[in-house]
Amino acid sequence: MLLEKRFRELLDAAPDAIMQVDAEGRIILLNRVAEDMFGYSRDELMGRPVEALIPQELHARHVEHRAHYRQQPMTRTMGSGLALEAIRKDGSRFPVEISLSPSESAEGFRVTAIIRDTTERRTAEERLRKVQEDYTQRLAEANAELEMTNRELERANRLKSEFLASMSHELRTPLHTIIGFSELLAEKLEGPLNEKQMRFVQHIHKDALHLLELINDVLDISKIEADRLELRPEAFDFTALIAESLASVRSLADAKSHILETTSNVPTAIEADRLRVKQILVNLLSNAIKFTPEGGRIGLEARVQDSFVVVSVSDTGIGIPAEEHESIFEKFHQVGATTKGVREGTGLGLAITKRLVEQHGGRIWVQSKPQQGSTFLFTLPLESAERKNQGA
Amino acid sequence: MKKVLVADDKDTGRELVRTVLEKAGHEVFEASDGEAAVVEALRIQPDLIILDIHMPGLDGFGVIEKLRREAAFLHTPIIALTASAMMGDRERAMAAGFTGYITKPIRLDALRAEVERLLA
Repeated sequence: MLLEKRFRELLDAAPDAIMQVDAEGRIILLNRVAEDMFGYSRDELMGRPVEALIPQELHARHVEHRAHYRQQPMTRTMGSGLALEAIRKDGSRFPVEISLSPSESAEGFRVTAIIRDTTERRTAEERLRKVQEDYTQRLAEANAELEMTNRELERANRLKSEFLASMSHELRTPLHTIIGFSELLAEKLEGPLNEKQMRFVQHIHKDALHLLELINDVLDISKIEADRLELRPEAFDFTALIAESLASVRSLADAKSHILETTSNVPTAIEADRLRVKQILVNLLSNAIKFTPEGGRIGLEARVQDSFVVVSVSDTGIGIPAEEHESIFEKFHQVGATTKGVREGTGLGLAITKRLVEQHGGRIWVQSKPQQGSTFLFTLPLESAERKNQGA
Repeated sequence: MKKVLVADDKDTGRELVRTVLEKAGHEVFEASDGEAAVVEALRIQPDLIILDIHMPGLDGFGVIEKLRREAAFLHTPIIALTASAMMGDRERAMAAGFTGYITKPIRLDALRAEVERLLA
């Protein structure tokens, strides 16, 4: 009796429902959890076929399973157990996981079933799945929104560039008249001008040319930002291009009594967009001239190092404080803003120069201290990057 | 004396080119739009045409397309004049049959040189 009491206590202490059925599938043993789980009393279940606890539509199949199990009995643990649906006395259904173990005794074949109600786990899984779905959905929405914002930004950027390009066209048309007629007047082909009239006409002409330069800069930066600036690489004599660039800034340098010095040691032809490289050189040279007080020294040096041309443009000018060595290459940054110096131009020159150098596959940087002059250095690959990519 | 036709919808632009070319000893005719340019060209048979690309209605490309179809204009030098400075514009103009290309604002010496080159 004591043994049976202990056995009963052990059985009822288990967290899962435990049942035993005989060879015919009749319930011959169950614990309290089983009573609670299925909503039957012990008396109601004892001797009933176990199919009473299985939904009607699965009865036939369950009987088959049982017969099969009878022939090939083996222990199925909970982990590899069957995921099934069970039915309570009140007809409600719930998910269960069942593990089976067969035993043969004097009283015949028996199967012990341990049944776990997995409703909570299912709910938790369901909740987790829902959270995941929710999260995925929100992520997709955020992505879509981001994509739309990106597209809008791209569109706005394109419109801005188109606007700038068309503005630049519209601005050049009246400048055509201003520059042309002032040049015509200064040629005095239509009659003489007195000294003062001549000076006035030259003011108009000079500032109109300056305005043209600003418009060209704005157009350049708008093309660069629209990624429409195409390089047209060709092989050319770098030393000749240096001479050409120096010639085009010589009058500016002479006006401020600067000395222009140059050493070029580039024996081979380089492959790059000749006009754009000239633009880089002229930009750096005119900056040097502009930011150097009268009677300064402007030096241009070019040499080959590895597969690059290294060019330096140095001056004896006002210099640039270290904290501005990066920002001077940004748009609309002007050294004149913080250093007492000349303020003219668009503040786009160095930004354009940097983009042109980088588009060629080179880099640009500055070495300078205030009052000790500046040296701008840039590199250009000897061979055009585009050509190299084509494998030619 | 060579005959030069200048087509530009801006009268100031036409006057500028006319003044420069007349000083250089040429006879200048004007047209203020594309259609007028075609009519004038057929009438006067110029030695050189300077065409503004951007004109309302028939633009410079439209004019050159019509003219190049005429046997008389197969080899007439035609200069494109444009205030646009986009890369590729020059190639496009040359492909359309222009023989010269000048951007606005013009530099007078550049205009003179291009005209003399094409009339030589």
